[in-house]
Amino acid sequence: MADGKRPLEGIRVVDFSWIVAGPQCTRIMADLGADVIRVENESYLDSMRNGMQVYPDRPSLNGSGMFNNMSRNKRGVTANVWHPGGREMVERLISKADAVLENFSAGAFERMGFGMEKLRELNPNLIYISISGFGHQGIDTTYITWGPTAQAVSGSTFMSGLPDMPPAGWGYSYLDHTAGYYGAIALLQALYHRKRTGEGQYVDVAQVETGMMMGGVAMLDYQVNGREYTRIGNHSRWPAVAPHSVYRCDGWSEGRDRWIAIACETDAQWQALCKVLGADDLASDPLFATNLGRVQQQDSMDARINEYTKGWDTRELMYVLQANDVPAGTAQNQEDKMERDPQHRARNHFAVAEHPYVGAHRFEGLPLHLSRTDWQLRHGAPGFGEHTEEIMTELLGYTQDEVTALKAEVAV
Amino acid sequence: MSGPLDGIRILEIGDRAEAAGLLLAAAGADVIRVEPTEGSRGRRVGPFVADKPGQERSLHHAYFNANKRGITLDPSTGDGLTIWRRLLERADVVLDGTAPGSLDKVNAGHESFKAMHDGGKLVWCCITPFGLTGPWKDWAVTDLTQIALGGPMMSTGYDDHEIPPIRPDGEHSIWMGGEFGAIGVLAALYERETSGLGQLVDVSIHESISCTVEGAFPNWEYASRLVQRQTGRHSSPARTAPWQYMASDGNYINLMGGGIPRARGNWTDLIKWLEEFGAAEDLAEDKYQQAIHSDPMQATQERARISEVLGKFVQSRPAEEVYRRGQGLHLPYSVIRRPEQNLDDPHWIARGFFGEVDIPDFGKARIPIAPYMLEATPNSVRRRAPLLGEHNFEVFNGELGLDTNQLVAIAGAGSI
Repeated sequence: MADGKRPLEGIRVVDFSWIVAGPQCTRIMADLGADVIRVENESYLDSMRNGMQVYPDRPSLNGSGMFNNMSRNKRGVTANVWHPGGREMVERLISKADAVLENFSAGAFERMGFGMEKLRELNPNLIYISISGFGHQGIDTTYITWGPTAQAVSGSTFMSGLPDMPPAGWGYSYLDHTAGYYGAIALLQALYHRKRTGEGQYVDVAQVETGMMMGGVAMLDYQVNGREYTRIGNHSRWPAVAPHSVYRCDGWSEGRDRWIAIACETDAQWQALCKVLGADDLASDPLFATNLGRVQQQDSMDARINEYTKGWDTRELMYVLQANDVPAGTAQNQEDKMERDPQHRARNHFAVAEHPYVGAHRFEGLPLHLSRTDWQLRHGAPGFGEHTEEIMTELLGYTQDEVTALKAEVAV
Repeated sequence: MSGPLDGIRILEIGDRAEAAGLLLAAAGADVIRVEPTEGSRGRRVGPFVADKPGQERSLHHAYFNANKRGITLDPSTGDGLTIWRRLLERADVVLDGTAPGSLDKVNAGHESFKAMHDGGKLVWCCITPFGLTGPWKDWAVTDLTQIALGGPMMSTGYDDHEIPPIRPDGEHSIWMGGEFGAIGVLAALYERETSGLGQLVDVSIHESISCTVEGAFPNWEYASRLVQRQTGRHSSPARTAPWQYMASDGNYINLMGGGIPRARGNWTDLIKWLEEFGAAEDLAEDKYQQAIHSDPMQATQERARISEVLGKFVQSRPAEEVYRRGQGLHLPYSVIRRPEQNLDDPHWIARGFFGEVDIPDFGKARIPIAPYMLEATPNSVRRRAPLLGEHNFEVFNGELGLDTNQLVAIAGAGSI
C-alpha cells in the first residue's frame, strides 16, 4: 500500500527553466515529490505565463492554463540576479539545493554569473543540469532551437508523412517533451549516483539527440544496407503487415474529421475484420488471402476497406473490432480523451487540482504509478513570486525586515 | 569511469520494455534480456542485414538490445520457473513488457512474487499498453493504434483533411513507455536507497502518449477548443502560415515562425544575406524592420510579405546552406534531415554521441548511446546485442551454479 511518501521527497531542485523542455523535466521531479523551486524574473520571463489565458479579458501572469499544467506541484520565487541582494538570495538558494536546472541557450546561465565553477563554489556536491538544443559541448552549441527546429535536424520530422508528400512532421513540439523526459532520466541517474557516493556532477542534455535516439534503426539500415530512409505514411514496413492504416469513419460527407486506426498482423485478424465489416468480397478475394498479397495490394485494399468503414461510428467499430481481437483504435482528439475515454477515467489520468487564480482544473497525469510511494497531484502552478517570502524566511534564514527591504529594492 | 547504474542487475522480459532496457543498460546496469526459446519478436522484425531475415540478422534487435546480455528461458515450464525465481532473487529490477497478467498465469509474475516476498528489495516495473488496471487493459494494440488512441495522430498530418491523420514512424509508443519506465525505475531505485524496499511500478503506454500532446490539452481543458493538424507545423485551433519549404536540392527546410527574426541585429544581417543573392526584393524598406517587433501571433501584411520573400529565397538555395547560414545569424532555421544524415555531422561526433557495435555478418556500425552527457558517470556502449541464448551458460552455470548435465536436461525439455 502507498504510505503517503513520495520517492523524491527531500530532494530540492532549483529551477531556472522556461518554455517547455525544462519545465517538463521539473514537472516530473515535482510530481515524484521533489521540492522544485522556480526562480523567475521579468528580464527572462517564461513566455508560457503569457500564453493560453484562462480569462482572456483579464490577462495575468498567473492566468495561463499551459503554465498551470506544466508547473503544477512546484513552488516559485522571483529574484533579480543583477541586483546584489537578489543575487545573494539566489546563491543562498543554490547552496541549499541538490540540483540546479536550466534550459537557456548554451552559455546564457554562465553569463548570468552561474558557471560550473561558481556553482561548485556555492555547493560542492551540486548536480547542475542544462537542457539545450545542441548541448553545451561540441561545435554547434550556439545554434538556436525550438521544438520544430530540433525535430527537423534530428530526423523526426522526415520520418512522419506520406512517401509522395512533403514531411508531415509532428503537430507540436514533441522533442520539447522528450527533452524533458530524458532530462528527468539523466537527472535521476545523477541523483542516484550522488545518493550512493555523495558526488555531484554536470549533466548536459541535448534535445536534438533525444530525437536521434528514435532513428537508430534507420541509421543502422543506412550503414549496413546502404538504404536511405523513406517515409511510409501509416503503413508498417518492419514488419511488413497489412492492413495497417487509418480509415474514414462516420460523417465524413458532413466534414467531420473522424478516423480509425486498424492493424492486422495475422490472417485470422484479417478474416475477423472482414467479418465485422460484412466485407465478404474482401474476405474471399484471393489477392488478399495472404499477408504478402495484402501488403502488395495495400493501396487498393485500403480504398476498399474505406468504403466499409466510412459508414461506421469510429468508437462503435473500435469496440466491435476489439471484441474480435483485432487491433483497432479511434484516432482520439482531446475531447475524446478527456470526456469519453473509460480507460483514462478508470485510472483518473486527468485529475483535478486547485489553482488560486484559475480555480479547479484538470491536469495531465504522470503516466505511471508506484505501489508504495506513488506520485501525487497536490496543487497548481505557483503564482509569480508566490513563495518568495516563505522560502526566504523558512529556508534561507532571512528576517521579515530583510525580505521587506529587498522587496522594496525590487531585488526579489 | 563507470556508469551511474553500475552494479544494478535488471531482468528484462517481454517486448514492450526494450527501450527502457536500452536506456538503463547504457547507464551501466547489467540488463539481461530474457527471451523465449524461439527468440524475441524483435529478431523477426526488419530491416535485416543484406535484407535476409534470420535470428541474428535483425537491425531492430541489434539497436534495441545493445549493452544487454541475453538468455533464453520459458518460465511456464517447471525448470524454467525455478530458474526464473532464482534469477529474481539476485535481481534489483524486473522490466516486464509482457501482457498484463500473462506471467502471473504461470506463477512467474509480480503478484506471485509479491505473495512470496512482500517487503523485498525488488523493483518490478510493468510497461503495458494501458496499465495494469482499467477496462481496456487487455485490448489488442500495435504502435499505430496506440498513437491513434493517445492523441498525437489527430494533431499530426496535412492541411488537407481528406488525407488521414498521420502516425510518425519510429515506434514512438515503445519509446514513450520506455522513457517513463526508465523514470519509474530510477525513482524507485532512488527511494530504495532510503527504505531498503522495492515496489511495483505500473507504466501505461496509453497515458505516456496521452500526456505528450502539448497544446491539445490546455486548448480543450481551458477553452473547449480542438486543434487542427497542419502540414509540417504545429496543430492549432485556427489555420497558421506555413513554415516548411523545399530547398533547391529537393530537401526540406523548417523556418520556425515563418523565419522572421526577433532582434534588429539579425534583421540587418538577414537582409545582407538576401542581397548577396539579389533576393531581398523590397524587404530593405523601413516598414519591414518595424514589423519584426510586432506580436508574432498577429498576422500583419508586413509579416506575411517577409515570410513570402524568405520562403522564395530559401527555395532557391540548398537546404544545408540555409541551415548553416541561418544558424550563423542566430536564426532558428533548420534542415529536415533523414536520420542517417546526422551520422557524419561533426557536432555529434565531437560530443561522442555515437558508439560502435558489432553487427553479426556485417562488421562495425554506429548507434546513438544516450542524449545526455553525465560528466562523472557517462553512459556508454560496451557490447553488441546478444545472440540468441548467448549468455545462457555464463548466467545459468557461472552465476546460478547449475552444472552442465543439469543444463543439458533442462534444455532438452525446452525450458531454456
